[in-house]
Amino acid sequence: MSRYIATRAIRGANALVREAELMLKRAIQEKGGNQKVAFPNTAYYLPLIYGMTGIAVEKLEDLVPVIEHAKRLLHPIPAESQWTPYLGEALDCGMATLLAAEAIEAIRFVYGLQPERMPGFTLAGGTSYPELDSPSNGRVGHLNGPIDDIQLRAWGIQLVDGRMPGFAAIIGAAKSNEVAVKIVRELQKRNILCFLSGNVNGRSIIHQLIEEGVELGYDTYTVPFGTDTLSAIYALGFATRSALTFGGLKAGQAREILLYNRERVFAFVLALGEVDDLKYAAAAGAINFGFPVIADTVIPQILPTGITKYEHVVSMPFNEIEGADDLERAERLVQKCIEVRGVKVKITEVDVPVPYGSAFEGEVVRKSDMRVEFGGKYSRCFEYLFMAPLEEVVDGKIEVIGPSYEHVEPQGHMDMGIVVRVAGRNMQEDFEPVLERQIHYFINGASGIQHIGQRDIAWIRISKNAADKGFKLEHFGKILHARYHSDFGAIVDKVQVTIITEPELLQQWLAKARAAYDYRNKRLADLTDDKVDEFYSCTLCQSFAPNHVCIISPERLGLCGAYNWLDCKASYNINPTGPNQPIKLGKVIDPVKGYWTGTNEYAKIGSHGVVQEVAMYSIMENPMTACGCFECIVMLIPEANGVMVVSREDPSMTPAGMTFSTLAGLAGGGLQTPGVMGVGKYFLLSPKFISADGGFKRVVWMSSILKETMAEELKKVAEREGDPDLIEKIADERYVTTVEELLTWLQEHNHPVLTMEPMF
Amino acid sequence: MPVEIPKEKWPGSVLTVTLGALPSEGGTRKRVVTVGGETTLPFLHFEGEIPNPPVVAIEIKDRKPDDWSPLLLEAWKDVIDDPAQWAAAAEAAGADLIVLALSLTNRNGEPTTPEEAVANVKAVLGATGLPLIVLGPGQAEVDNTLLVAVSEATKGERLALGICEDKNYRTIVATAMANGHLVIARTPMDVNLAKQLNILISDMGLPLNCILMDPTTGALGYGIEYGYSVMERLRLAALQGDKMTQLPMIVTPGFEAWKAKESKVGEGVPKAWGDWLSRAINWETLTALTLIEAGADIVVLRHPESVKRVKAAIEELMAAKTLVS
Repeated sequence: MSRYIATRAIRGANALVREAELMLKRAIQEKGGNQKVAFPNTAYYLPLIYGMTGIAVEKLEDLVPVIEHAKRLLHPIPAESQWTPYLGEALDCGMATLLAAEAIEAIRFVYGLQPERMPGFTLAGGTSYPELDSPSNGRVGHLNGPIDDIQLRAWGIQLVDGRMPGFAAIIGAAKSNEVAVKIVRELQKRNILCFLSGNVNGRSIIHQLIEEGVELGYDTYTVPFGTDTLSAIYALGFATRSALTFGGLKAGQAREILLYNRERVFAFVLALGEVDDLKYAAAAGAINFGFPVIADTVIPQILPTGITKYEHVVSMPFNEIEGADDLERAERLVQKCIEVRGVKVKITEVDVPVPYGSAFEGEVVRKSDMRVEFGGKYSRCFEYLFMAPLEEVVDGKIEVIGPSYEHVEPQGHMDMGIVVRVAGRNMQEDFEPVLERQIHYFINGASGIQHIGQRDIAWIRISKNAADKGFKLEHFGKILHARYHSDFGAIVDKVQVTIITEPELLQQWLAKARAAYDYRNKRLADLTDDKVDEFYSCTLCQSFAPNHVCIISPERLGLCGAYNWLDCKASYNINPTGPNQPIKLGKVIDPVKGYWTGTNEYAKIGSHGVVQEVAMYSIMENPMTACGCFECIVMLIPEANGVMVVSREDPSMTPAGMTFSTLAGLAGGGLQTPGVMGVGKYFLLSPKFISADGGFKRVVWMSSILKETMAEELKKVAEREGDPDLIEKIADERYVTTVEELLTWLQEHNHPVLTMEPMF
Repeated sequence: MPVEIPKEKWPGSVLTVTLGALPSEGGTRKRVVTVGGETTLPFLHFEGEIPNPPVVAIEIKDRKPDDWSPLLLEAWKDVIDDPAQWAAAAEAAGADLIVLALSLTNRNGEPTTPEEAVANVKAVLGATGLPLIVLGPGQAEVDNTLLVAVSEATKGERLALGICEDKNYRTIVATAMANGHLVIARTPMDVNLAKQLNILISDMGLPLNCILMDPTTGALGYGIEYGYSVMERLRLAALQGDKMTQLPMIVTPGFEAWKAKESKVGEGVPKAWGDWLSRAINWETLTALTLIEAGADIVVLRHPESVKRVKAAIEELMAAKTLVS
């Protein structure tokens, strides 16, 4: 922690606690210890004190032990020459400050000094004060003071269920009225509550907003607490009460209440203008709640995380923020606040002029209905998604660089590149390909748009109908922005899309994209089972195969072919309670057959005790079970000393005397049958494919459709196995449908299994 | 020759959940209902404890339902357009619990307002001393608006609020926590989805003993095997010690059975199907009993005659306890 901040916070705390003590003494002398103290319309007494200490303050004298407690939390100001860790001290002092601040505000209520009077001002909905509000008393203008329980319930529930992402405690005054309004509008736009308090040299953001005619009150989600720093305590009273009400917590559970706020209440402090000792002290108090502080002036920063989720104190000097004018700077400032607290913004609608939904995913745009196409035979289309640092991505920015398709003749074509920049606290480079692949589904969701392929062989068509409805290139960006936020919000905080049709720039980006594809291919090839310390489970299919569990490793994708290790990793990050859970490998038991302590333990749990062990690399000993979704069935042919591989798409007879559909009954259902296994077709290419039993060379028969659709990949496997003609030596249904024919074929083609050791 | 009955010793048990609160507990109920607590599979009294027998809830609506079978309208007669009277009649018919299902629209076809919902819930609470389950109309936004109002107006009653689903549970859970109610978590016939929703709800801070789970089911002849199997697996997992499956189960055989053709249609069906009314009641009764055998702790029924039969059957199944001991 910054020594400077600690010093000032501790100094501020000492001063305030002393002030509170003196005020309390005087108040008890003047009004008596039995004088009632209360905030308006709350069942939580003085809520912060109640939550943190469990003391239900009802009379002035009840505050005495509170101040004593605050005093015990105080620490001496760090010496000039001595360097010790200050974080704990500063946090304690911050808490003391909060206790003192709430005590002072309570005493002010006794003296009629709260809520703060503001002649001529009317709240747009607020806490009710009958003695001030009633016309018969001549209605006195005032600020809101603390939030009452009724509003707490209304807003608290929205904070809990996520309709409201969080609240901002804004303290001080903005650079100008214009900036003040912009900041509040930006926050309101995101449904973030604004609590206003404090001043800089007597001028408060509350004055600024009132002068600009901004309505303040419950109705506008913008609550003016008071023009001094102390009134900011009401924000923390609100936070404490929401933990008591919606967190099922009890008064006095200080630690739990603070943790609740850290984990669930997305609040932050925005300090506008100069930061004095008291503000530092109050900020240290807020950090206890996990609420970070963002200042628009030069102050020392506390960037390491710990108490707060991300940075503790961030300085963003207003005049140094990049931006064309102050308004843009204000926008950036708010954006930064959201990042620092990790507030997630929800987008529910995809803003395009055509219907949008998964129902349109399979839609085909025929040439005759087509307005324009990108990619395919006559043009080039590529899509490239990459992650960038948070500050380099402007969320929601969609740019089209180059001409649109208006000048292209009907049914014509043009080149296009879609470049997506994403940023997020939880984003990892490994997720780039997983996210990039989603572009296909996202774009296909628009009615009248067809998307095929990926990477630099993408092919997109826009129908005449969609074009007539006003579908423009920028709408690709809108779709991607909205869908990445709604589907991948857990890992993506910002999305920026650039659509490029300008030829020169397009070539530049295409080169960059290709370099990235190459890099990813290599990364994928390098990603082997021995390089990771966890695999993933997949229990998606347990709804119909209750005891089946897939264990997915970098070199063994799910048997459905739909989930590889990276997908599972991303899926776990997006949905930590979902069907893909990490399996810590633990100790290696047998590296050849593929046994680890972790995988075995998980097999037991995942199969509910039905399966005891799983060998990742063997078909003969404890093979992995299958649900029924496998792309291929691998089965031992004992007479041939090898295995056959039958594709789901192959309806013909196999040497085992059964067709795929009959075999499926044997392979599926979560049963462990030595010699039978369901696999994803790309697993055939893996060096780990039944490697314990001899690997790919054991394949004696394979559906021709596999040979055709994966010709190139299989060729590489044959080379890897040191037998370049291996694929031709493997029989298929066109020539062989019985064991006798198979044996003859193997002899004729001199298949390597003839000289391999027996499989069992 | 003495026969040794093999006994399983399960490490886990079903949680007990109590619905309703007495005046001394901050509510207004005359009695509370506790479900769960089983340490063995349904009715294996020789093996473990079944401390709380399954209970029967009767489903009523806040007004005359638009889509219920004429047989049901006939059974309840005049009370059917008055939730308070209907609740009293349901209590008289032997219900252990009342389920009040709120409608999307009121009698005039206008959207039900939170005020109307609260008034109906209060009327029902006034008319019966039984614990109450309140279900929203089944549209996320409307459910949330109505249930939050109801929840706040009945603070401390320990109502069960539903339905919490994967896509919409946070608001209902939050309001239940703030006002001392329970929630019902429903998932579409899948063990893992049920577990996941229970995890998500308890992650919000609601204690597990404030959650009932509805694993969803089908009527006899309409997928009941599937529902049965899922419930059985949930219960086995619970007994094996999986905390997130140990919640008592509530299912809706009344709703399911009365939408099956066999109970819904009286004309143009084969003569061999026999009398419409007895067929419909048989359908509901058999559906309910099957699910009770699968481990249901609360069954929600619609016809008073089915209630009578199901209750009698439960009594017999529980009486077996004295035979073995």
